[in-house]
Amino acid sequence: MRGENRRSVIVGIFVFVGIAILVVGVLTLGGQQKKFVKAIQLKTVFDDIGGLQTGNNIWFSGVKIGTVKKINFYGDAQVEVEMNVEEAVVEFIRKDSKATISSDGLIGNKIIVIYGGSTEVAQVEDGDRLESVMPLDTDQMMETLQINNENLVEITGNLKELTGKIAAGKGMVGAAMTDSLLADNFKAIMANLDRAAANSNRVVNDLNTFTAKLNQKGYLFNDLVTDTTIVKELKASMASLNATAANAQQLTLELQKVSEKLSSTDNSMGMLLNDAEFAESLRSTLENTDSATYNLNKGMEALEYTWPFNKGFKRKAKAEAKEADGN
Amino acid sequence: MAEESEDRKPLLSKKIDKFFTGLADAWNFVRRFFQEVFMPPYEFKEIIQQCYRIGVESLPLISLTGFIVGIVFTNQSRPSLSEFGAASWLPSLISIAVVRAMGPLVTALIAAGKVGSSIGAEIGSMKVTEQIDAMEVSATNPFKFLVVSRVLATTLMIPLLVMYTDFVALMGSFLSVNANEMVSMTTFFVQVFEAITFLDIISSVFKSVLFGFTIGIVGCYKGYNSSKGTEGVGRAANAAVVMAMFLIFIEELLVLQLVNAIRGM
Repeated sequence: MRGENRRSVIVGIFVFVGIAILVVGVLTLGGQQKKFVKAIQLKTVFDDIGGLQTGNNIWFSGVKIGTVKKINFYGDAQVEVEMNVEEAVVEFIRKDSKATISSDGLIGNKIIVIYGGSTEVAQVEDGDRLESVMPLDTDQMMETLQINNENLVEITGNLKELTGKIAAGKGMVGAAMTDSLLADNFKAIMANLDRAAANSNRVVNDLNTFTAKLNQKGYLFNDLVTDTTIVKELKASMASLNATAANAQQLTLELQKVSEKLSSTDNSMGMLLNDAEFAESLRSTLENTDSATYNLNKGMEALEYTWPFNKGFKRKAKAEAKEADGN
Repeated sequence: MAEESEDRKPLLSKKIDKFFTGLADAWNFVRRFFQEVFMPPYEFKEIIQQCYRIGVESLPLISLTGFIVGIVFTNQSRPSLSEFGAASWLPSLISIAVVRAMGPLVTALIAAGKVGSSIGAEIGSMKVTEQIDAMEVSATNPFKFLVVSRVLATTLMIPLLVMYTDFVALMGSFLSVNANEMVSMTTFFVQVFEAITFLDIISSVFKSVLFGFTIGIVGCYKGYNSSKGTEGVGRAANAAVVMAMFLIFIEELLVLQLVNAIRGM
């Protein structure tokens, strides 16, 4: 009888533990799959759900927030997806958020990803419909990949042709690869380039030195760049130069007028310079004057020996002789 | 005389007639079980006794088997998943495999071998030694006492054993995954529960109940219908195991189809 009781207790413990494992499993599963949390329903419509199934997860910012509740055909061959979304995260999902279909890993289950939404817009409410964004279709990707493949084939074909020509020594590159003379020329060019580079280097160094000197204090350029008073002085000098230039212009105009007058014959200087008749008359006057002066000199010499003027000349000669002796 | 010879003449063929007769007997046996199970008196003491034998005494063997299955399945799956760089999916894979199929199946097969044969042999020996007839004479309902208690015990205990097996197999798998992939227990069990659904657990429990009932009813039926002395006892035990295992696989297939149909709805 005692043994029977003992067995009953052990069976009871066994049953209890077994049921406990089942209950813990169910609760854990429910908790993880958000079966026992308050949820709201959101809807979205896709043209193609790509194998999405009831029970697939809903992600928002990389966090699972619910599951796909129902999938129905809608309108013109579109598919409406009803989602159970945790009530606790509703405040973060906005009415302008978008829903797209993605996959959990590279080859994982399909999931719905809710993303975007601006803070200015109100949060979603039960029964709201989110805008859907069609995901990248694998077939489309494969089509693009196929085009890429075809391009690649064409490119490799061209490359093959090109390398064939180069190997045969055709074209400039081919010649460069096979012609030894061209190679020598190329070497010479390279040597020249090397020298030019060395020269450039030297020039640059000189320029560096020059600019370093320019930057030293006391040099004109440095003063120009750094000394603010020079600018004022330069401005003053420029103003003076402008005034001088204006004066020079005025002078030039005056000279021009003078020269114009000199060119004409209506004045004495112009007549003197330009009138040939006047010049001839002047020459004859000067010749007459020269001849008169000569005759006057002759008369004056004759007068030196004539009384009473000869005494005056003698007194002058004596005074000059005396002055010379005194020196 | 003519009627007697008419009765002995097979309807289709001797073997086919025997097969269908056996089927009819089995159906009557099952029907009798369902008639008796709800009718008092209830043999609680015997049911507890059988629960102890079937459940508690099978626990060490079932646990060890489940633990080894968990480790072995994990280690066998790792190379294939690693080839795809998907070794991190081991917990999900093991979880699906253990909860959906291996837990109930391994438990049921082990129980069919251990419990089914024991029931078949026990009832068979009682049958050939006419203890069952003696019980009938002593106003005890042998069917209720022997069959109903054992079938109820297997039907109740196998689901519980499956829970233990699932848990132990997952722990075995965790040890392997933890040693090789350095996955923590939290991460492991998060992935385990992420992969399965309520439907998996419900189908697992449903299958376990079905397997338990099958093991009990087949063991009892084979033992209850044994004959030909001690040789018949051995045959009953053997037939109980073989038939139970065969039916378990058939049921597994049918339940799988049913669950997949529900999953697709």
